Amino acid sequence: MQFDWMKIPYALLTLFIVINFGYLLNSFIAKIAARVGRRRGIPIWQTYIDVAKNYGLRTSITHGVMFYLGPVFRLSGGVGLLLFVPSIYGSSMFSNLSFAGDLILALYFVFFGTLGMALGAAESGHPYSAIGITRGLSQVTAAELPFALAIFSVALQYQTLSVTDIVAAQQGGILHWTLFTNPLAVVAAMLSFLGSMMRPPFDVVLAPQEIPIGPPTEYHSSYLALMQTNRAIFPIAKIVIYMNLFFGGATDWPTFFLKVFLIYMWSVFVGVSFPRFRVDQSIRWFLIWAVPIGVLSIVLV
Amino acid sequence: MAHLAMATGFILILIGFYGALTNRNILRMIVAFTVADSGVNLVLVAVGYMRGRTAPILDNTVPAAEAAARIIDPVPQALVLTAIVIGVGVTALMLAYSYKLYEKKRTLDITKHTELKW
Amino acid sequence: MVSAIVIIAAALAAEFMLGLFNERWRAAAYGVTLFALGFMAFISAEWVWAFAVYDAQPAEIFTAGVQPPFAINLRMGFPEAALTLLINLTGLFSALYLRRALLEKGRAAMAVLLVFVMAQNGIVLTRDIFNLFVFFELAVIATGGLMLLSEDERAVAAGFKYLIVSQVISAFLLIGIIFSYHATGVLNFDLMRPEHFAAAQGGAIAFFLMFIAVVAELKPFPANGWALDIYESAHPAFAGLFSVASAAATLYAVDKLLVLGGPAWLPVATGIGVVTFIAANLLALPQRNDRRLLGYSSVAQIGLILAVLGQRDILGDHYFFVAGGLIAAHAAAKAGLYWLSGLVASRDIIGWSTLRGHPVLIFAFVSFIALLTGLPPFPGFYAKWELAVALAGSGRYILLALILIGALIEAGYLFRWLGYALKRDKPSEEISCDPSAVTAIIAALAAGWAFAYLWGDLSAHGNILHAVPLLFALSFLLLDWLPAWVKNTVAIVGMVGYFILNYTDYDPLRLIFAVIILIGGPVILLASYDAHGRRIGFYPSAMLMYAGLTQLIGATDFFSFFVAWELLTVGSYFLILRGKHSEPHALSYIIFSLGGAFLILTGFALAATVSPLPMFEALQHLTGETAGWVFLLLAVGFMTKTAAIGLHIWLPGAHAEAETDVSPMVSGILLKAGLYGLMVLMLAMGKQRFYGIDIVHVMLWVGALSALLGNLMAIFEEDAKRLLAYSSIGQMGYALFGLALMNHLGWVMALMFVINHYIYKSMLFLSAGGVAKRTGTRLMYKMGGLITLMPLSFIAVLIGIIAVSGVPPLSGFGGRWIFYNAILSAEHRLPMVITFFSGPIAFLYLFRLIHTVFLGQLKDENRRIKEAPFWVILPQMLYVGLLMAFAIVPGLALRRVDTYLNQFFPEGGLNWEGITITSQFGYWSPVSIMIIVCAIFGSLFAWLMFINRRAQKVKQFNIVFAAERPYRPETTHFAWNFFAPYRKALGFLVQPFVTRFWETIADILHTAGDIGRRLYTGNPQTYALHFLAFVVIVYFFWTGG
Repeated sequence: MQFDWMKIPYALLTLFIVINFGYLLNSFIAKIAARVGRRRGIPIWQTYIDVAKNYGLRTSITHGVMFYLGPVFRLSGGVGLLLFVPSIYGSSMFSNLSFAGDLILALYFVFFGTLGMALGAAESGHPYSAIGITRGLSQVTAAELPFALAIFSVALQYQTLSVTDIVAAQQGGILHWTLFTNPLAVVAAMLSFLGSMMRPPFDVVLAPQEIPIGPPTEYHSSYLALMQTNRAIFPIAKIVIYMNLFFGGATDWPTFFLKVFLIYMWSVFVGVSFPRFRVDQSIRWFLIWAVPIGVLSIVLV
Repeated sequence: MAHLAMATGFILILIGFYGALTNRNILRMIVAFTVADSGVNLVLVAVGYMRGRTAPILDNTVPAAEAAARIIDPVPQALVLTAIVIGVGVTALMLAYSYKLYEKKRTLDITKHTELKW
Repeated sequence: MVSAIVIIAAALAAEFMLGLFNERWRAAAYGVTLFALGFMAFISAEWVWAFAVYDAQPAEIFTAGVQPPFAINLRMGFPEAALTLLINLTGLFSALYLRRALLEKGRAAMAVLLVFVMAQNGIVLTRDIFNLFVFFELAVIATGGLMLLSEDERAVAAGFKYLIVSQVISAFLLIGIIFSYHATGVLNFDLMRPEHFAAAQGGAIAFFLMFIAVVAELKPFPANGWALDIYESAHPAFAGLFSVASAAATLYAVDKLLVLGGPAWLPVATGIGVVTFIAANLLALPQRNDRRLLGYSSVAQIGLILAVLGQRDILGDHYFFVAGGLIAAHAAAKAGLYWLSGLVASRDIIGWSTLRGHPVLIFAFVSFIALLTGLPPFPGFYAKWELAVALAGSGRYILLALILIGALIEAGYLFRWLGYALKRDKPSEEISCDPSAVTAIIAALAAGWAFAYLWGDLSAHGNILHAVPLLFALSFLLLDWLPAWVKNTVAIVGMVGYFILNYTDYDPLRLIFAVIILIGGPVILLASYDAHGRRIGFYPSAMLMYAGLTQLIGATDFFSFFVAWELLTVGSYFLILRGKHSEPHALSYIIFSLGGAFLILTGFALAATVSPLPMFEALQHLTGETAGWVFLLLAVGFMTKTAAIGLHIWLPGAHAEAETDVSPMVSGILLKAGLYGLMVLMLAMGKQRFYGIDIVHVMLWVGALSALLGNLMAIFEEDAKRLLAYSSIGQMGYALFGLALMNHLGWVMALMFVINHYIYKSMLFLSAGGVAKRTGTRLMYKMGGLITLMPLSFIAVLIGIIAVSGVPPLSGFGGRWIFYNAILSAEHRLPMVITFFSGPIAFLYLFRLIHTVFLGQLKDENRRIKEAPFWVILPQMLYVGLLMAFAIVPGLALRRVDTYLNQFFPEGGLNWEGITITSQFGYWSPVSIMIIVCAIFGSLFAWLMFINRRAQKVKQFNIVFAAERPYRPETTHFAWNFFAPYRKALGFLVQPFVTRFWETIADILHTAGDIGRRLYTGNPQTYALHFLAFVVIVYFFWTGG
């Protein structure tokens, strides 16, 4: 088989665009959330400052090999997820590395970073990181279920697992989007989406506001910088999948930015409006509300 | 006559069994069994009896040539003899056992010899 | 040739000679006794030889030189010769065993023994019913005498009880005989005819009385309290003789009577027999006294044989083969076990653990239990098979079910006993190794194995003992004195060699299993090099399991498949039993396995009667309702082995408690036997309906639920090996699910799981075992922070969990990818929902495993721990390499299977062209994925190394802890009840409903047995009443039905 070496610089270009978009988006969203709370919020370039600062910190310790590798796993997961899915429909330049595998690859590669991160944090020996991990893992099993059901429903609907083919089937007008042809699947997936965005009501995993919990407890300096970069890439990579599967994909970068932003905003809207669930509550919530919709979408498709 | 004997035999068997199963005293049980044995033997003989014939002993009064027509069936008689002998043997053994049992516990009450169960 | 009457004459002559001896010439008297018994055995043996080799004609012996009916005649035919040989040999060895008792009691006792043996011979030989009565009475009297040989004081009472009951029985017999004579005019078996009884008034009643009296000598339920008391209190040598000789003789007497009575009486015999079989086994369950337990078991076995006698109408040519096989097995086993009980001081079955340390005696004990439970290669197994086929062939399903249920209960208490003997603490008192007793036991053992060979030779299905793998396994019994590493090498070479010689014979599907068994097995065996000493018993068991597995995939007919199935079950049972605390788990394993095996037996028997074709074709040709039944029975049977939910409760304990190198064998390899069975079944039969229900659809649900619940149970487990064991339930659920999809990719996925599960479960069990070995515990929360101390184990677990969870780029992902492709073309969608859920849950317990053991806080007591032993690590590293290789080139293993499956499922195969594997729906390029992931990971790692090169390694407690420093790793290691929120949310799903269900069933059986046995009050009058009640009940059924 011939390998087109140009795919590598193109993929790196996608990565570059998305990283920057992600940094800006994160700050922007934080600003919106602050405004909702009648605060002023951070400047739009704050993330860049944070990352630069973290890279620049001179204190640097390690608890062991896994601890060291944790952020690497994490960021590899985010980058891989992004690159295994085509960003722009119809563009061979931004089809990235999607030749390696289909939707299922993306679905399972999500766990690559999660696993590595969890392992690294666990080696620090800090009980709070372990607690954060149990919460995160517990919640994600239930939260991912409706998404998996939705994917299965969509794959059944279009009789393919190839992301490109699914996007292709949605071209030709907004009414061809899965959102309208298979609304139940989209509802299930969007409920699941709330669970993976680390925002209320499902953010007890990291509990970002009051106590440090979960992986970030012990990570600092350049480790934290890698993780922040991932925080910029990973949600977008995930949203790209949503966009491709349910919202007709994007044929150019402006559409891409707009759709990603709007999909992201869904979790922000919900997040600023609702209080937090405990983990067992969120598990039940997903199983009781989101899963039946997903099941229904499979049965009806 | 044969029916009477047979009925008596069965009555004796029943009496014997009743006695053996209701008396707790080992010796009484053994006696009851001998009663039942007698009943069984009586039944055996009664089955072999034929009206108007004589005992199956070939002597001057019953020449061998006429025997088949004049004597009763000799087989049950032979069986009874054997059964009696065996009965005696078993009874003797039971008596020996009752002695052993008495030696062990100083009682002939059968309900006191029931350590083996379940 | 010596006339058969000389047997009786010799006994009589010896008895009279003993009478002439001086009371002090005891040794001489004993010599005469032995000689007489030996001579009697010799005559029988000569006759057996004549019949077997020269095809001799049966000989009639006319006493008094007159033809019947004027004189008594005896007959020596083949059955008579065989039975008298059995009786005389048992008598001879009993006499040997009784040496001390006989020398002490003197010539009278010897004479009584001779009378007993002679009487049993007479019962077999005579053709005259009154003569039969005489011999019965002689046997009664002799029994009364021999009871007094016992050292147990209670034997006197037992003997008396017997006399009482036999008085009642003999009254019935005598009356029955005289009226039969009245009805038929003769006393001779050959001159009486069933029509005579039918024609004469009261003839039927006469026969009934005679029949019931003889049957009563077989100790039928409930008229058998006296027999149990005898068994419990008699001298063990006599108890053995009583159980073997009088049972064999009386059974033959019943057989002779059944010919007289005609076919109408066969169901009566069967009914009495089967009720006795089940009741005696049930009542045996709560028994603790070994001899009484054996008594119950004897009663049960004789009941079973009586039931078989009642089936002579359908058994045809196999009648003597089946009945004889059961009698032979019963004889060798019961004599042997009673004789063994004489060596053991304790009367509690737990006390038999004193046999440990005497390998020959333990082997004898194991063989006797196997003889009794009808395991291959013993005659009971052949008998069980033929009986099942005959019963299924003539539609006697209920009887077959009852017999199998009884057999399962019997196996329950026998294997419990075996477990006690092999595992419980050894009591302080040693066994008494009387040489003459040991000789007798070894004779019984030799007889058992000789019977095994003989029945194999007589069998139409070929001799089990001729199979090469089995012989290889058995040869390890003889090699057991060698050091473990030598045996290990022999085992590895043997298995690999067998594979090299035979691998061309397997089709691709079987080849995968063959590689896992014959190459994968030796890889696990590498870990066994770690064991020191001789490791007695390990290799015979392990090799027996591998032999069974090897024969399983080579089997082409029902019989050899079932043989292999039983062999691997038995081998793995002993293997599992070796674990320190595995006794109860091994018991539940063997009971579930045997239960499953009985279902398979029934299914095979049903299928085999339809057509005599090879297995695969025969299954293919089944139609209609039979097909549904066969499919259901076999599927449930196989699912017992894969531990499908509901039938899974044996697995966690069995796998977790096994030794370090045994867990991977029984998990990684043994579980595949069930999958293999399911594959063969489903390939042959496709989808089947059972009264309108699609069984395969049900299996789809069972598979999905197993996957979910297995995984859920695993996440709440604190014990590392139990966690892995529960995970196996989940994994097997996936595989079952894949098979039940009944499409091309579902099967590829199942095969992928077969391979993957072998690799990573073996690896993880070895790692967990190695860690447990070093830390001395399997509880994960007691570990923690072992990553630096055991880095290689950590790497193995890390790679293992990535593979299990299905995260790319390792091989687990391939399984998931195929899974999604498979379900896209599946008919049923709802069960998928459950499997979707179980996937991520697997992630939870895997993380738990690695975090709690290797990460987090190192405990003080573990600070000096070393890496696991080299030989335990070596196979793990091989597996790491294998996983990587399989991840990059799955086509090596799967491509041929994929092509092979085309003939069964033409639709939906994979396209293997190039480096990208494509399906109807999607594509997957393992090589690209591996390269991309490595490239991304490598670049980022290099980047971090570059900016963070001066990272400083800190001490264990250097963590940000609210300005305080924790000092106790125990309180800082967050490990116990790790997934508490999950338990709160979904814990209700893992309540032990299934365990409770099976426990309740076991409880009910035990309670029923415990209540039932109170029937036997110990009072002979009650026993006599039982007999009368028995007569009335049988009469009632006989006239009513």
